[in-house]
Amino acid sequence: MRLTCRQENLAKGLGIVGRAVATRSTLPITNNVLLATDGGRLKLSATNLEIALSYWVGGNIEEDGAITVPARLLTDFVNTLPADNVLMALNGKSLKLQCLRFEAKMSGVDAEDFPPIPKIADGLDARIASEALHQAISQVAFAAAAEDTRPVLTGVHAEFEGSNLTLAAADGFRLAVYKAQLLSPVEGKTGVIIPAKALSELSRLLPEQEESVEITVSPSKSQVLFRLKDAELVSQLIQGTFPNYSQLIPQSSTCRAVVNTSEFLKATRTASIFARDASGIVRLVLTSGSEATPGKLTISARAEEVGENMGEIDAMVKGEASKIAFNAKYLTDVLSVIKEGQVALEITTPSSPGLLRPVGSEGYVHVVMPMFVQW
Amino acid sequence: MPIQVLSPDLVSKIAAGEVIERPASVVKELIENSLDAGASQITVEVRGGGITLLRVTDNGCGIPAGEVDVAFQRHATSKITSLEDLEKISSLGFRGEALPSIASVSLVELFTQTADDAAGAFLSLKGGEVIERMARGRPRGATITVRNLFYNVPARRKFLKSWATESSHISAVVSEYALAYPEVRFTLYIESRVSLRTPGSGSLRDAAVELYGLELAQELIEIAPNDQDVSPKVGGLIGPPQAARSNRGYMSFFLNRRWIRSPVLAYAVEEAYHGLLMTGRHPVAILNITLDPTEVDVNVHPTKAEVRFRNEHIVFAAAQKAVRAALVARMPVPQMEVPAAAPLKLSPLPIQGVLKASPSGDDNSVDSLFPSPTSHIRPPTSQIPILRVLGQVSNCYIIAEGPEGVYLIDQHAAHERVLFEKVHSQRARQQVEEQGLLEPFVLEVSPQQQDILNAEVDNLKAYGFALEPFGDKSFLVRSIPAVLATSSKNSGQGLAEALKEIADALAEGRRTGWEERIEASLACHGAVKAGQSLDPEEMRELVRLLEKAAMPRTCPHGRPTMVHLSASQLEKEFGRR
Repeated sequence: MRLTCRQENLAKGLGIVGRAVATRSTLPITNNVLLATDGGRLKLSATNLEIALSYWVGGNIEEDGAITVPARLLTDFVNTLPADNVLMALNGKSLKLQCLRFEAKMSGVDAEDFPPIPKIADGLDARIASEALHQAISQVAFAAAAEDTRPVLTGVHAEFEGSNLTLAAADGFRLAVYKAQLLSPVEGKTGVIIPAKALSELSRLLPEQEESVEITVSPSKSQVLFRLKDAELVSQLIQGTFPNYSQLIPQSSTCRAVVNTSEFLKATRTASIFARDASGIVRLVLTSGSEATPGKLTISARAEEVGENMGEIDAMVKGEASKIAFNAKYLTDVLSVIKEGQVALEITTPSSPGLLRPVGSEGYVHVVMPMFVQW
Repeated sequence: MPIQVLSPDLVSKIAAGEVIERPASVVKELIENSLDAGASQITVEVRGGGITLLRVTDNGCGIPAGEVDVAFQRHATSKITSLEDLEKISSLGFRGEALPSIASVSLVELFTQTADDAAGAFLSLKGGEVIERMARGRPRGATITVRNLFYNVPARRKFLKSWATESSHISAVVSEYALAYPEVRFTLYIESRVSLRTPGSGSLRDAAVELYGLELAQELIEIAPNDQDVSPKVGGLIGPPQAARSNRGYMSFFLNRRWIRSPVLAYAVEEAYHGLLMTGRHPVAILNITLDPTEVDVNVHPTKAEVRFRNEHIVFAAAQKAVRAALVARMPVPQMEVPAAAPLKLSPLPIQGVLKASPSGDDNSVDSLFPSPTSHIRPPTSQIPILRVLGQVSNCYIIAEGPEGVYLIDQHAAHERVLFEKVHSQRARQQVEEQGLLEPFVLEVSPQQQDILNAEVDNLKAYGFALEPFGDKSFLVRSIPAVLATSSKNSGQGLAEALKEIADALAEGRRTGWEERIEASLACHGAVKAGQSLDPEEMRELVRLLEKAAMPRTCPHGRPTMVHLSASQLEKEFGRR
């Protein structure tokens, strides 16, 4: 293997695939990054066996070949090199790097030993605009469970049907559902559970991408491939049955309040300071207005032996005056990803689920289970 | 066999068997007599496990020469005269059984003199019969020598254990009385070696130094007697939780200065330590209980080791409250033991005191031999100092710096303590916070657990679990306590484990402490686990909450939440000092 590429491109590529390098692995080679010539470009790959990231760097290939070297060592070294051409030459298992007057040799491990990255050729194939996918992931992935006693909940359920992609995530206490548009309809209906971590990694790559993203699900529904312009992400899928979430979304409510999203978020953050000492509980009280005065939403928190606070924002309230208590974190989580200026809060009783949806966008629903408190 | 009245000899032997079980029982009876005689020095000599020879010498009031014969008659006593006296016994003995019982099973010599008599009396008895009598002089007091115990009761003699075992029983008896009467100088010689010598300074801690060693005695926490004239009054010394022992042998109870065995009090003390000791560990405690004599019946058992309280629950509550209060007020952080360097071990031995002691032999000089160990101990406080978090070790311990060195905090134990107190206070205020579950959780249980949970639905609701029966052997969980909701794993399998643990805790019976067990179990399941990496903000928050906790030193199961490596230990370790 002998090739030349730009330091900036190599550093960028290593930074991207570095996210998939295993940190605590029993398989030492997964701490390495795979360098291989591929169709006139240099392909960088890393995997932690759950996800695999590949990135292609343009360059001048003089001789084909492949090797794996410790990812951390290579990345740190390349990052400090001047922005110029980097010559990479493989001699046996020793990789030589040269950039202007800097030179390094690092011993590598045979590329054959690197875990093979699954190739997904056929199966379900869908295309989506990268902006739409980015938006969908940001609104849903945070609601997935962090711990894996119920593995399906650490994933995001993705359902492909017609030209819709519906992403849904839930931990035990909240549910987020987002409907995105595919660029072209798919046949039939396919549902898979993608690890939320894989989607978070993917969403880092999306903002730089203008082209659409190609999503391929393997026929056995065991892996999914996201193909971007210069990068690919392959992830294992989570096996299991995702809860039937549609029945968890309340179909009606007795009180609906429309409030300014950022005011609501701010007031919740204020209350959450006091809520810190009270299991994060914030109490919402909705009061409808008269013809002359607007309705209001008060947000308060109270911590025994610490103190209490109360904030108030304007709200258009329809229905009976109501109250409900939530964990402040669940409210701030959802309010900070809603981009629309106004959000509707729909509730029925203090013990039934609360529903949030942005006003003017039909695609997003967020359900939060209340906390039961003494009022 | 025809019915016949037993011979006096046989009767006395049977009666003796009730009082005199083994050499230690003789020692107990004789020491009690000495104490009732107002002795300030009691010397006990033991040879051959107390079977060959037992001698108790005191400087008490002695027995008048004219009464020495009566003393060995059954039911003869100078301690009570009427039934009214029996109602309010203040002396240790009163049944008038000890001396005759001892005399009937051994060779006894009594040598005594009162302050008034011109000459002392010497009396020698064999099997209860006087075989020698003479007038001899001696200082005020009495010496009773018991030889050849059980010489005429081979059955009893056969059941005696080895000399060493019998000696250790005697040693235990003397120890208990030494604690009960710290103002009396006790000296115990076993096979001519001094086995125990208490200073008789009147300070319970000084006596404890002799019995438990300086190290432990210094750590003992004093129970300040409640000043009010309430009965019962509780005083004494208790060990800090880290000085716990693996058996109950270190709990001594004294009721009106009488050493008693009391499962009730032992239970009260263990209850007071609840949540501070690991299971299988038992506290060190010396408890003096003062109770109106009419409130207690000591005449239950010939050896008077067991007593009957008129209001057992009041005594229980008083003891438990006093011990708990002392514990809460003064609980030191366990010091880190650095095993590698021996010189680091701190032992402030009062060597100067020993050197200064005057060899005059005067009783009072003993005080200077034993400078009050309390002066060496800086009073530990219950609260922990303000700590600055430095980092996390093995995703398990938080390292923090305080004004007096480095603290290692077990993140799980610390969080458990914080949550435990939170749940407890929420429950007390009936304001338990509940988090609704998005999807009701189906809990599968065993038939026994099902019965328990069915019966306790309301109690569980009070803790924030909304359970609905859901067919055979399963329940639908609709909401969980907010403390559990912090980690989403508790929406699934973790929740099932927590609930089953609680059901099992309830199944063990609701006698006592089941609430605490539920609270501890909630805290345990809600707390961060060992192995969970925390960011600096989370660690600071946890330490902040721990600083505010009422009992920050231990987790609800009794494990310490933190160990302390003092600045001076560090300096020594690095050879700076």
